[in-house]
Amino acid sequence: MARVAAKKSAVGLTPPPLLPVPQLERLLSAGMERGADFAEVYVERTVTTAVTLEENKIKSAQSGLQQGVGVRVVSGAKVGYAYSDDLDDEALLRAARTAAMIAQGTGSEKSFNVARAPLPMFYRVQQSLKDIEVARKADLVVRANKAAHLYDKRIKQVVATYADSTKRVMVANTEGHLAVDTQDLCRLSVHVVAEGRGKDGKPERRTGFYGGGGRVPFSHFDTFTPEMVAHEAARQAIAVLGAVDARAGQQTVVLAPGWSGILLHEAVGHGLEADFIRKGTSLFAGKLGQQVASNLVTVIDDGTMANSRGSLNVDDEGNAPEFKVLIERGVLKGYMYDALNAKLMGGRSTGSGRRESFKHMPMPRMTNTYLAPGDSTPEEILKGVDKGIYCAHFGGGQVDITNGNFVFEVNEAYEIEKGKMGRPLKGVTLIGVGPEALKNVSQVGNDPMPDPGLGTCGKDGQSVPVGVGLPTLRIDNMTVGGTKV
Amino acid sequence: MSTDYQALAKQMVARAKKKGAKQAEAYIEVGRESSVRVRDGQIEDLTQATSKGAGIRVFVKDRLGFAWTSDFTTEAINSSVDRAVQLAEAAAPNKLNGLPTKKQLGAPSDVGPLFDEAVANLDPEWKIKSALEMEKAGKAYDPRVKTFDSVGAGDHVNEVYLASSEGASNGYQGTYVYLYAMPVAADGPQLQTSYWVDYKRFLDELDAPEKIGVEAARRAVRMLGASKVKSQKVPVIFDPMMAAAFVSGIAAAANGDAVFKQSSFLASKLGQSIAPKNVTLVDDGLMKRGLGTSPFDGEGVATRRTAIVEQGVLRSFLYDTFTARKAKAESTGNASRGYRSLPAIGTNNLYLEPGTTSPEELIKGVKNGFYVTAMLGHGANVVTGEFSRGANGLWITDGALGKPVQEVTVAGNLLDMLMAIDGIGSDLTFRGSTGAPTIRFAELTVSGE
Repeated sequence: MARVAAKKSAVGLTPPPLLPVPQLERLLSAGMERGADFAEVYVERTVTTAVTLEENKIKSAQSGLQQGVGVRVVSGAKVGYAYSDDLDDEALLRAARTAAMIAQGTGSEKSFNVARAPLPMFYRVQQSLKDIEVARKADLVVRANKAAHLYDKRIKQVVATYADSTKRVMVANTEGHLAVDTQDLCRLSVHVVAEGRGKDGKPERRTGFYGGGGRVPFSHFDTFTPEMVAHEAARQAIAVLGAVDARAGQQTVVLAPGWSGILLHEAVGHGLEADFIRKGTSLFAGKLGQQVASNLVTVIDDGTMANSRGSLNVDDEGNAPEFKVLIERGVLKGYMYDALNAKLMGGRSTGSGRRESFKHMPMPRMTNTYLAPGDSTPEEILKGVDKGIYCAHFGGGQVDITNGNFVFEVNEAYEIEKGKMGRPLKGVTLIGVGPEALKNVSQVGNDPMPDPGLGTCGKDGQSVPVGVGLPTLRIDNMTVGGTKV
Repeated sequence: MSTDYQALAKQMVARAKKKGAKQAEAYIEVGRESSVRVRDGQIEDLTQATSKGAGIRVFVKDRLGFAWTSDFTTEAINSSVDRAVQLAEAAAPNKLNGLPTKKQLGAPSDVGPLFDEAVANLDPEWKIKSALEMEKAGKAYDPRVKTFDSVGAGDHVNEVYLASSEGASNGYQGTYVYLYAMPVAADGPQLQTSYWVDYKRFLDELDAPEKIGVEAARRAVRMLGASKVKSQKVPVIFDPMMAAAFVSGIAAAANGDAVFKQSSFLASKLGQSIAPKNVTLVDDGLMKRGLGTSPFDGEGVATRRTAIVEQGVLRSFLYDTFTARKAKAESTGNASRGYRSLPAIGTNNLYLEPGTTSPEELIKGVKNGFYVTAMLGHGANVVTGEFSRGANGLWITDGALGKPVQEVTVAGNLLDMLMAIDGIGSDLTFRGSTGAPTIRFAELTVSGE
């Protein structure tokens, strides 16, 4: 597996800090005033832009500004959290003192100093996305709309959206650590509806969706063009016109590479997050060193991939992201830790502490999670299936980490008959139990696996951008939901 | 320090007009929240915060611009107003654009009280005690309840202020209080979880913590030993939680915007019979003490009660002002939003009217079928009406709930499913702003082995 190496360490150009360091230090002292073990201040300022096109017109252009400070205080296993979007000194001190109340001790007037360590740069955006003219962003959705309609006259509805954010963060804690980062993120997405005529003469409608982006400069869309995105969305919708019902029950499935990685994200990723492990609520708890998947399966979570949507120069607790092998040849090797769970479990942070915003406490989360390529060619994988389903493009998924049940929604699927692709199938849902599904992986492709930069993961009401990836994969005995028995 | 947010909203509108907007609307939200989670008889975490934000929507030469900010310094507020006006240049002109007129706004609806002093002044100790009681009651229910993924309590107080150049100028405040428990039950290698919650505006309507803890535990424990079943077509019953998810899918297809774009399977069905006569689906923005109740919607239009399906007939779609104008209809007061987003069509209090049959009777009438208590996945495709979700629950044999089932899907087409409803329970249940009773479908496909 070729790992994308990080560019050399650098401390970039520094705009004025979100909060002056002495003020951060005062807030840390206030957080510790009742004698807690640890305090942390997280400062965020995010600027967003979005342009939406529908019904062939740019419907709106919009922009937002969110800023605030979250103070976390830890006393034993107890956590106090308070936040404020008011940045005046008094409001912030009030927040710090509120969080401090989690500790029951009496007065402490210890002072804390923080110093900034250099960070790696896994994404460097020369010109912040917030500084790109909105007209250029609008142009992307106009071009996508045009291309989708030109692709096929049966494309009737196109909704194209461009959205970006430039997030500046500062994290300081009572261990003396200070980290500062600027995180640019963008995504272009296109939804289409195609309309054809069914066999009964009635209109038949099918949908298509594609998009991508990442922590990339705006020039990303010079090569990942709106036309490419629109064509792919339109292709999917046209391809499944005339789709037939899928047969329900257990079947062999072949997953196309890339965005199919959400299966991995759901089937095993969440269950390896340390909070679930510590609480004993994940079915992977207590299974380190055990065979939990086919020996063809190696699963990696890598927060250091260049420019990927889930990458971080620093996590939301100020720790460096890592390249982590979670499962190696089927054997469970490690979990993903944030600092709090690491401390409570006697481990160390893997740089997996993430949060949606200053309004949230960090939790262990995935970054870019993928299955390492194997040695089968995609062609031989398909050829080897006598009867099954080829899953070409995917909607989303969800998992119950406790019993391991996960679903995975397939928007574009085909029958496989004697090693060849057959008729398109109406949207199917795959369901399985994480470890069982991974034990049934019988072939792993050697094809490239990163997704185009689409994913947003939700957990406990917090959304964070993630990357996923999977090479072409064969899984036997997957349960396929359908209406035909 | 108290700020007059209504005056601030008006100032934003005035500035937008001065900067060249033909119409402008400011929407401000101010809130505070407090929550607690417990673990093993101890506090796990406590969160307390205040937050606020303002969104400004403008029309400049029929072009729409929007900006929002959580920073309320004069400089940031002014710059967001100016940015909204500038951004409108990037949008296309659309003659149908515009804010609701004075007439369309109407007088704010009289919805009764939305604010409970008892919630606004709730003692943090009450939340800690309640969460601990839920945990204790859940563990006491059955020794196989080993732990909780999460168990907690919280409240929030929200204020909304809206002002527009067309004469809207109003505000309201509301309270919310909730309890939730997610226990994990273990037996041998299998773990099962479940979820139970109550969420109300008024403290005296909230279920007792013990009741929440026990119900959550009961739902988790009964799933122990779950396995797959064979693929088959059988009668399927959705419990009230799952029925609420189902009716949300129907309401999503009644979204006037999706209908106008021919992107809903209900688009051509207005006035037609789409379900049996006992099916009535209502969105009621006026429901007394409802979680989704408010005097006006996200663009200031008076809320109302809309029957989407009445005695089986599709009666109305849901509209905001812009979509209503496109479709030559009237807004139904369903513009839903927060300060960070433009209004979009959503439901207020959505519910399926209850029937007269008890849920036990509905189960009794099934010889071989599936009682669904949890689902995974995003559900229905509103364009095609196809529905396919992962499902957990209990198998029904000879009219009685039996062995637990997991790792299967239920699938159908929403139109067929509506027609297949052959029983509606008397147990209308709200655990949020969407409510439903138990419903029974004559036949759906269950996929398993």
